[in-house]
Amino acid sequence: MAIVERPSTSETLELEAGPRHATPEDALGVFKRPQGDTGWRSWLFTVDHKRIGIMYGAAALFFFLVGGIEALIIRTQLAAPDQALISADLYNQLFTMHGVTMIFLVVMPIGAAFANFLIPLQIGARDVAFPRLNAFSFWCFLFGGVFFNSSWFIGGGAADGGWFAYAPNTSVIFSPSHGMDFYAIGLQITGIASLVGAINLIATVLNMRAPGMTLMKMPVFTWMSLVTQFLLLFAMPVISVALFLLTFDRLFDANFFDVSAGADPLLWEHLFWIFGHPEVYIMILPAFGIVSETIPVFSRKPIFGYEFIVFSGAAIGFMGWGVWAHHMFASGIGPISVAAFAVSTMFIAVPTGVKILNWMATMWGGKLSFTTPMLFSIGLVTMFTIGGLSGVSHAVAPADTQQTDTYYIVAHFHYVLFGGALFGFVGGFYYWWPKAFGHMLREGLGKAHFWVMLLGFNLTFGPMHVLGLQGMPRRTHSYFDGYGFNVWNLVSTIGAFLIALSFLIFFWNIWVSKRDAKKPEWVSPGPDPWDARSIEWMTASPAPSHNFDHVPVVTHRDEFWYRKYGETDDHRIVRIAAAEDVAQTGDRTDVHLPAPSYWPILLCASFPLIGWGLIFNLGIAFAGGALALLALYGLAMEPADDPDGGHGHHDDHVDHSPTDGSDAAASPTDGDADKEATLVD
Amino acid sequence: MHRFRSVVGSARVRSFGLLALAGLVLSGCAMSLDGDTPQTTLEPEGPAASKIDGLSDLTFIIAAVVFVLVEVGVLFVAWKFRKRKDDTGDELPEQLHGNTKLEIGWTALPAVILAFLAVFTVSTILDLAEDPGEEATRIRVVGQQWWWSYDYDLDGDGVYADGDVVAPGIENPEEYETDIEVANEMVIPAGKPVYLEIESRDVIHSFWIPALNGKKDAVPGRTHYLSLEADEPGTYVGQCTEYCGLSHAYMRMVVHALPEDEYEAWVEEQLAPANEPETAEEQAGLEVFEGRCASCHLVEGVNDDTYDGATVVPGAAPNLTHFASRGTYAGSIFNLWQDTNGNDVIEWAEIGGELNRNQLEAWLRNPPAEKPMAADENRGMPNLGLSEADIDSLVAYLTSLD
Repeated sequence: MAIVERPSTSETLELEAGPRHATPEDALGVFKRPQGDTGWRSWLFTVDHKRIGIMYGAAALFFFLVGGIEALIIRTQLAAPDQALISADLYNQLFTMHGVTMIFLVVMPIGAAFANFLIPLQIGARDVAFPRLNAFSFWCFLFGGVFFNSSWFIGGGAADGGWFAYAPNTSVIFSPSHGMDFYAIGLQITGIASLVGAINLIATVLNMRAPGMTLMKMPVFTWMSLVTQFLLLFAMPVISVALFLLTFDRLFDANFFDVSAGADPLLWEHLFWIFGHPEVYIMILPAFGIVSETIPVFSRKPIFGYEFIVFSGAAIGFMGWGVWAHHMFASGIGPISVAAFAVSTMFIAVPTGVKILNWMATMWGGKLSFTTPMLFSIGLVTMFTIGGLSGVSHAVAPADTQQTDTYYIVAHFHYVLFGGALFGFVGGFYYWWPKAFGHMLREGLGKAHFWVMLLGFNLTFGPMHVLGLQGMPRRTHSYFDGYGFNVWNLVSTIGAFLIALSFLIFFWNIWVSKRDAKKPEWVSPGPDPWDARSIEWMTASPAPSHNFDHVPVVTHRDEFWYRKYGETDDHRIVRIAAAEDVAQTGDRTDVHLPAPSYWPILLCASFPLIGWGLIFNLGIAFAGGALALLALYGLAMEPADDPDGGHGHHDDHVDHSPTDGSDAAASPTDGDADKEATLVD
Repeated sequence: MHRFRSVVGSARVRSFGLLALAGLVLSGCAMSLDGDTPQTTLEPEGPAASKIDGLSDLTFIIAAVVFVLVEVGVLFVAWKFRKRKDDTGDELPEQLHGNTKLEIGWTALPAVILAFLAVFTVSTILDLAEDPGEEATRIRVVGQQWWWSYDYDLDGDGVYADGDVVAPGIENPEEYETDIEVANEMVIPAGKPVYLEIESRDVIHSFWIPALNGKKDAVPGRTHYLSLEADEPGTYVGQCTEYCGLSHAYMRMVVHALPEDEYEAWVEEQLAPANEPETAEEQAGLEVFEGRCASCHLVEGVNDDTYDGATVVPGAAPNLTHFASRGTYAGSIFNLWQDTNGNDVIEWAEIGGELNRNQLEAWLRNPPAEKPMAADENRGMPNLGLSEADIDSLVAYLTSLD
């Protein structure tokens, strides 16, 4: 059900005074579509990309709490040598669940949250290409995550094979609890979410950009997310295959990874890392996109070398496929393979380094305001640099044979994924919060959050470099006194609790800022609190459900900035319009939007049933299958809610070619406003 | 001397490594704030580890320079171009969109630096992969949950003492004359190359003695090769570094590098069958061993015979023929002898000293309480419910097996 905007007809005009959504029709007497945009039902059944983005973010923050508590237990156990606060068995479950949760249920979905919320706004679309599929992706991820974590309660133990789940340690003999079944099926479900989401967003970016927004005028965040979606599109099928093999081994006694039946365990390693390394870029590229938005805004300059930033991101996307075996330098793949992957891994540092330098050059000569989003962005640049440099030391394969599977690696990837991705994401939360919720987060608390998090992060993960080089292996539930590991482990544990404190500040900030916004003296930040550059700021805050009253015609990269600023004859940059004058009010009521739907959430609810059924009782799986069939039928037969639905007006395109840069299409007084561009074929 | 090396030998690495780490907070005086670091990667004691260390130093130096340039650069730019207090915000900075020449430059420069590093990397990879040749002592290393066994092909005929560690019984009894099989601790001649054939009997493990070489995975169904050589006699410790299940943290290894003559003497000793009991207590211990331990553990001369039809077979657990000639047991996590010099490693000279009796008794009393194991799934040593008298006799017997 792609969104197709059509020239307005008299029928739609009738709706102006009525509800925003068209009246549902009956089909077969049962499939009415839900209505309304308030109340809990409006969230459960929403197909609005912004609400789905917000739900992705909220769910990811919930799982962040879960994974964070797991991390705190781990760090408490390791605070001193020879501790036995928790058993080795529980420790192994905790580090496995921490890793899987943070990767698949926190960092990836936060990336999805930003992509969902921002891409349509940044490209001037009403929604994503397939709004119901978008809801499907979200619920699929959430139910997958809930299913995966349900192993704590009903699995006889959570997954204990590590997030990398190397065969044959994950076979039933060596991992007899149901934990790894939940891992295999749970990640299969969240993988479907990622794959479907990727297809949806690729279709959105390629087909639904506002008139005039060529690919090379897209905001960098959208570009980096587009690269991310392509990585997902090709990486998820690989892990899906691997997980199917594992599931069949565990549940149906297949022999894919049974060494005594002739299997080679390196098959799993290759499959896993062919997925697993692009996965790293899936996690980090959206954050690179975020800071590529914030650094220019708070430097009051355009991004330096847009083409280099974009193409280096694309280059990372391609090169990311040729480096997977650097996770396997000790695995016995042979010196020629090791040499080849060592060299390819080194050179992926080049496009990454380009980004760092381009961000520095963006700041160079600017007028920097150190708002909370800017602090987190600079945090990403400085912290990710450390992770990038330790990454180069892994590319030096002989050195890596000393470093791999030690705490040095733990330090490295936390500098990449926490120092990189998470700093970027948190900065993004502060930056786009007003666009999502209509009010700012408090700056003072935000800065406190930043400094405590920066300190806690470095205290936690900095010493791990030392521990690793001193020979402390990863994934060990305990360590001996007398190996020089004691002090740095204690420092690391203290740091972990500082990180926890920083997020308490964050959650307090969320709560207290919302409370602020209810006070009578509160002043709305308006559509453009940061003097931003891209068009998501050109509509009201919070963004209305139809995004733009009139889809803007784009003539420039940083379109919004060019509508606010101009150049005088003597080449001085001066403000030519206030943001409020350029931004749209968002109060148009006659824009046709797809109605909510019951079926995405119901379809996704069937997946955990099928999963539990496969593990415990096939009867439950059949019940889940029946629900899936019902939901699919509902999806297929759901009545189109648009008044001219089902007919298609593909011949009636109004083709808006980019004009000379005048604001014609965006002007509220434009009599032609109803004849907006057709956005998709 | 060792002390001196540990301060000077790694000072350069430390000072650069530190910069590249959390940096400012940590001072250059010491990475380890609490004593010895016997498992460190930064003090190589063999040719392979030294080559790796040299390459690591080069990498760390380059990384440290880049680190300082970038971090100082970012902070400097942030400070220099901060918005001033008197800035009304009306005046915008120059809207610079890029500089292609500059950007090509800073794309090319890191590429050149990395190409430089790549040359050394590739040559070191190929160098380290070389087979040390016929003279090398060949040892088969077998990882299993959660300990290591070492088979020596002393006569160089390509056949190990025990053709297959999981096969019931012994396939080539005549090999016992020339080959040996030990557990937990490997003994090698110092200054001579050793070539390891690394295998696994269950899941993936990783063999790692940081002072001597990088790690190499033990993958079931495959044989991986690794050169090992210690420059000087000494005791070197390591730890399994591929997550291998429950007791991964407690799967350690020890390598004793001995001078040539001591190594020869050790070989002679290991070739001999187990000592006969000499006292009544030891004889009682032998009987307990035969009754309770021999279905898994092997003592050559006592239970060489095949146990047909048994679910567990001798050889599934460490060979105890010369148990008391080792410094550690149970995956090298417990010291058999007192650590007299307090450096947390049982060195060669400490073996046969004062018995660390309490720990050994505790282990025999209830092994799963001392080390996490899945004994009910035949992975690890179960609680045998031995009486205190049995334990005393067993301790007497086992410690007579030197």
